[in-house]
Amino acid sequence: MAAPITGLLKPWTPRLFLVRWSRYNPYYLEPEPRKELYNMPETELTTEQKEERELKAVRPIKATTNSTTSSVFNDPVLSKFVNMMMRDGEKILARGILTQTLESLKRKQVEKYHKAPQGKKAEIECNPYAIFHQALENCMPVIGLASIQKGGKFYQVPVPLTDNRRRFLAMKWMITECRDNKNRRTLMYEKLSQELLAAYSKEGNVIKRKHELHKMAESNRAYAHYRWW
Amino acid sequence: MTLHRLFPLRLRQTIAQVRLLHGSGCGHQLEEVAMEPELRKETSVFRTQVNDPACQSERHLGQYYTLPTSHLHTIFPHGLPARYQQQVKTFNEGCVMVRQPALELISYLKAADYSKPAVRYLLYGLKGSGKTMSLCHTIHYCSTQGWLVLHIPDAHLWVKNCKELLPSSYHTSRFDQPIEASNWLRNFRTTNERFLSKIKLRQRYTWTKRESTEKGSPLGELVDMGVSRVKSSSDVVGAVLKELRLQAAETEESEGFRLAVAIDGVNSLWGRTTIKKEDKSPVAPEELTLIHNLRKMIDNNWCGGAVIATLSQTGSLYSPSSAYLPKELLGEEGFDSMDPFIPVPVSNYSEKEFESCYLYYLDRHWLQHPHSESHSPQTCILVWSFLIPYFN
Repeated sequence: MAAPITGLLKPWTPRLFLVRWSRYNPYYLEPEPRKELYNMPETELTTEQKEERELKAVRPIKATTNSTTSSVFNDPVLSKFVNMMMRDGEKILARGILTQTLESLKRKQVEKYHKAPQGKKAEIECNPYAIFHQALENCMPVIGLASIQKGGKFYQVPVPLTDNRRRFLAMKWMITECRDNKNRRTLMYEKLSQELLAAYSKEGNVIKRKHELHKMAESNRAYAHYRWW
Repeated sequence: MTLHRLFPLRLRQTIAQVRLLHGSGCGHQLEEVAMEPELRKETSVFRTQVNDPACQSERHLGQYYTLPTSHLHTIFPHGLPARYQQQVKTFNEGCVMVRQPALELISYLKAADYSKPAVRYLLYGLKGSGKTMSLCHTIHYCSTQGWLVLHIPDAHLWVKNCKELLPSSYHTSRFDQPIEASNWLRNFRTTNERFLSKIKLRQRYTWTKRESTEKGSPLGELVDMGVSRVKSSSDVVGAVLKELRLQAAETEESEGFRLAVAIDGVNSLWGRTTIKKEDKSPVAPEELTLIHNLRKMIDNNWCGGAVIATLSQTGSLYSPSSAYLPKELLGEEGFDSMDPFIPVPVSNYSEKEFESCYLYYLDRHWLQHPHSESHSPQTCILVWSFLIPYFN
């Protein structure tokens, strides 16, 4: 990547159609939507946060996307999931499906909670956000495979994955699984909630796919030295 | 905003007090106000143990009472709104909030004179404000008092999406709807089991050359016939309504009973239908047997009961979505038929009712966001749901 070209930084003029362009000069800083960080008094900040604050006073900041809010219900992981589920730019539909999924998760768990005997009640998790995050974590693979060419042949080499890649793979598997292996009459949110609950208790097809990837990586251990990074 | 100032303080106190009450088991003594006067003043307790609608009063406004499970299955096989049924399944109990319109209706029913012609009550209000639930509360009261309840859960379903339309055998220009009629008869049978053997028919009904129901046979036989012989079920419905209308007028000796006709979505009786005849011309509501018989029930020419109706824009056909007043939804013809009636307005939640609803959901573990104890999610819910009961 080119070094930050601060000299060529033009003053911002409004355009006809206001659009958050994805290519910004690296000089621009990321926006921070969370309210709690702005309410913290001076004393509680670490040195890095103090530096960041000073930098924000002088540097320009990128525009936020339409889907970021400063409300307590804003969740970057959920937003990412909604974007991945979206087709043909229909974000409202995708977000509606996610809301219905969370509601149906909560309904199933609350029903189980109320029918359970007193001793078992504390073990049942009713918070759909907690279930979603935990299920996604259970689906994230630890190690991945990369196709590396050596001597004319391509080998599947076990390779460490970044956090973003792991999260992406978990979400991708979840969504493809729900789209493909679904009965014609079941709705997406119903199937998604079933898969998420299964992933939360470490069962289900997505977990199986993760385990298969791990087994492949284990079986190809011999080629691990082909990796040079 | 006063809301911001009121809610946090009261809410934290409320939650602490409610936990105390539930924990120490003195939740069962909620009616004994004299024993804990200080607690009553400060706490907004959201549940009451008074489960009988006849004993409820303004003291219980905003509080939830539990519908016994047996009553849920017998009185409301088909009456409750779909979202509420889902809620009952999730929470494993059915709790209804005691609200002012329902209490008002019940007080009118208590004070009415049943030797005079039937009084007609009309519940109206904005969408999602709780008309159907108020109707169900009143039906629960009528059932516990031993009335015979004729509950039509949604009259809109009878004027649209009809899969089978048969020409009526009784009257050539009318049309029958066998499926809807037989479904309704089945649910009627579940609700009013005890009356089926007691009421005897006053007239002989002939269905075909070989089948007839004799005079003096119990109502249960007629209803069973209607359920099994689907083709003549609409006429059976008409016969049942006629019999009940005639017999409700009796005095309250051993045989007498009071009749409550509860119709949800009464504006469909005078609107238009989406049902078409075979030559694609639309069917007017009068030409449907079920609607024709229902209209006869609503006329106030019978004694010994009451007609409780609800207006509904949600399922109605060809009416603007902003209409909710009786004149707009009933139309000229409907208003003239219903006139004179007692209008009962149903409004959205007040602050106290909203708080009660919030506490109920907290108690049932429905509000799961980690900040549920603090201030901001509650104001979010308050603002976004606009205090409309449907969105709560």
